[in-house]
Amino acid sequence: MDSDQDIINIEYSGEQGPLFQLTFKTGLLSLITLGIYRFWQKTRIRKYIWSSVSLDGDTLEYTGTGIEKLLGFLVAIVFLAVYVGLIQMALFYAGINVMVNPETASPQEVITQTAALYITFLAILPFLLFAIYRARRYKMARTRLRGIRFGMEKGAWGYVLRALGYGLLSAVTLGILTPLSTFKLEKYMADRSYFGSARLQQQGKWTALYPAFKHVLIGLGILIASAALIALAATGGSDGLAILGGIGAFVGYIWILIGSVYYSVRSFGYLTSNKVLGDEIGFVAAPRTGAVIKTYILGGLLLSLLVSVAFGIVGILATAFVPLLSGTPSTATLVVMGGLLGIGYLVALVLVQALSMILITQPILAHYISTVTVQSASALNRIAQREAETGVDAEGFADALDIGGAI
Amino acid sequence: MQKTQAHFFDGLTAGRHEVHVALSDDRMALVITGSTLTAPLRWPLMDLRALGDTADTARLTLTCKAETEDEAPRDPARLVVLDPALITWMHRTRPNLFKADVHRGTWKKLATYTGGALLAAGLMLFVILPAMANSLARIIPIEREVALGKTVTAQMERFLGGSRLGALRCDDPAGEAALQKMLARLTGPKDMNYEVALQVYDHGMVNAFAAPGGQVVILRGLLDMASGPDAVAGVLAHEIGHVESRDATRQALRAAGSAGLLTMVLGDFTGGAGIAVLGEHMISSAYTRDAEAAADLFALSMLDEAGVDAEGFASFFYALDDMGGIGLPAYLNSHPVTNTRAEQARSFAQGQTNTAPILDTQEWQALQNICR
Repeated sequence: MDSDQDIINIEYSGEQGPLFQLTFKTGLLSLITLGIYRFWQKTRIRKYIWSSVSLDGDTLEYTGTGIEKLLGFLVAIVFLAVYVGLIQMALFYAGINVMVNPETASPQEVITQTAALYITFLAILPFLLFAIYRARRYKMARTRLRGIRFGMEKGAWGYVLRALGYGLLSAVTLGILTPLSTFKLEKYMADRSYFGSARLQQQGKWTALYPAFKHVLIGLGILIASAALIALAATGGSDGLAILGGIGAFVGYIWILIGSVYYSVRSFGYLTSNKVLGDEIGFVAAPRTGAVIKTYILGGLLLSLLVSVAFGIVGILATAFVPLLSGTPSTATLVVMGGLLGIGYLVALVLVQALSMILITQPILAHYISTVTVQSASALNRIAQREAETGVDAEGFADALDIGGAI
Repeated sequence: MQKTQAHFFDGLTAGRHEVHVALSDDRMALVITGSTLTAPLRWPLMDLRALGDTADTARLTLTCKAETEDEAPRDPARLVVLDPALITWMHRTRPNLFKADVHRGTWKKLATYTGGALLAAGLMLFVILPAMANSLARIIPIEREVALGKTVTAQMERFLGGSRLGALRCDDPAGEAALQKMLARLTGPKDMNYEVALQVYDHGMVNAFAAPGGQVVILRGLLDMASGPDAVAGVLAHEIGHVESRDATRQALRAAGSAGLLTMVLGDFTGGAGIAVLGEHMISSAYTRDAEAAADLFALSMLDEAGVDAEGFASFFYALDDMGGIGLPAYLNSHPVTNTRAEQARSFAQGQTNTAPILDTQEWQALQNICR
């Protein structure tokens, strides 16, 4: 039990070729079926990715089905159709009531009006958060290892309340309390998670996330200082101050951007390393920020290169049709041409989806996963099965609100 | 097939069982035996299923079709085969290996849910939202409507390429005077709920539109194309009809409700947003047939009361009809022209007496040159 042999490295073995083929093929099927196949596309991609993750030779299994996703989506639609339709109209009406004449409006009135129009988003926000919890719970319930189900307790509304509260706290502190929000929300979800009979627990404390957050804070500091410089320059300082402030703002922005990646990588490492399964099984995760940023930059560059080639081909095909347009083209010619162009554009979009899957999503996932090790792994053998969960709505709310993400 | 080794997970605990797999004597089932199993297991060959879309082609995970509480009708036990010979044999002899089974009643459930979702969405789009739009349009205060209308026309101006507010507005004084004379003659005899604010935008599109609260905009293209001032008066009277019956306000409210709904139904599919916008446009660009017919009747009676010959209005419809096909003017998109409408205007015109042109030749020229 206490020997080095009780440690398992989690491995990721997915390859680019098969995943590209799968994503592209299923993307085309989604296109042909006007989007209905997207539920099966998601299912099949997850099956591939899950089956690429292995512990000691045993792979994860994804057992979700396309049909339950479609059913869940339909359930969510019935609810959201009514809610979104009514709320949008009511808010639009409220928006009209603060609407002002654009010719004579004061800046303040314009701001009120704009704010009123964006309230729609706030009305949907609770459902977005609800959907986030439900989607994670669904993924857990459909994941198995060694024939044993993962699972997560109900608790989406509790999550919504906490996420709104902690989100507000982070917002009013200019983001300084973000680690509190990250930690508490992850703890809320982790503490309700199971592998078979064993419960997962999030240990550690939220203040320990600040080292991971340091670069965001530095970036924030630079931004505030630059804003002060620019304000100073505006009230009678020199042009040099303004230029310095401008440069500072740019540096601060980039710093925050990279700092955020650093934070998401480091906080994943801390949170995972402080999770305990069934009181004895521990984890260590050591993802590297450099590797993730490298993938974003190199993968992003390669992606944009390939994408411009793909859209270039569509463009060339389009110009090939131009001679047909000389003289007076018939309506039929125009319709056919427009249709072909539209299809070319959509196929190129599917290609982009497949390319970003293998150039960005999969490599980053692979990096995160392969840095995780499981401690006291032999205790896994004693874990027993848990009951099957047949959710009514799968991740329908996430599908309907379009927050599913890449996988 | 030869007896071979495999890993087995019983679906009860996470422990791994090292087992032997062989074909049963009657060649109808796989028999799984192992020292850690309490009894040998028998999986009928015809019920065997394997996990699909997996990454590792050198591994085949088998399970068994069974009525369970699970998301798919599968036995929770798993048999992991790594022996290439057995994997090949499975692929060769078991055509149903990757068949996706569903629980009994799934198709009926799917039909019910689809019907329910379509019903709910349809009810919202075509019954509840329009009804709500109607009542909201009735209770909205006029000055708010005017503000909304000004916002809409400002947006429209930006959309048509105006770099700043008022950039497209044509304001030649003589043309402006002719425009106001036309408006005064049309609205003079009527008791109007709204004060009509009329503008001409310098844009080649053949179009005119009414925004909420009495804002009416005519595009220069329509003036260029019209055969005479009476035709413009007809179009103007028609738009005033939309203003008086609050069609634009109702339309704006309804579009606000439908937009979010359609975006959602079509989902995150690539290009889905584009389709949603298109659908929304199709719903909102044209007023209902009833609203159009009502605005036509309003226009004809307005022309009559003002003593303007409705033949100009009729000729405008016929001229549009002749232009049909490729150069389909934008006016048609928002105001579908049917022969019935043109004929209605013409036959109305034939019954009119005591008409006089709404503008004289000089004034008409001034109006046509309003953007110079």
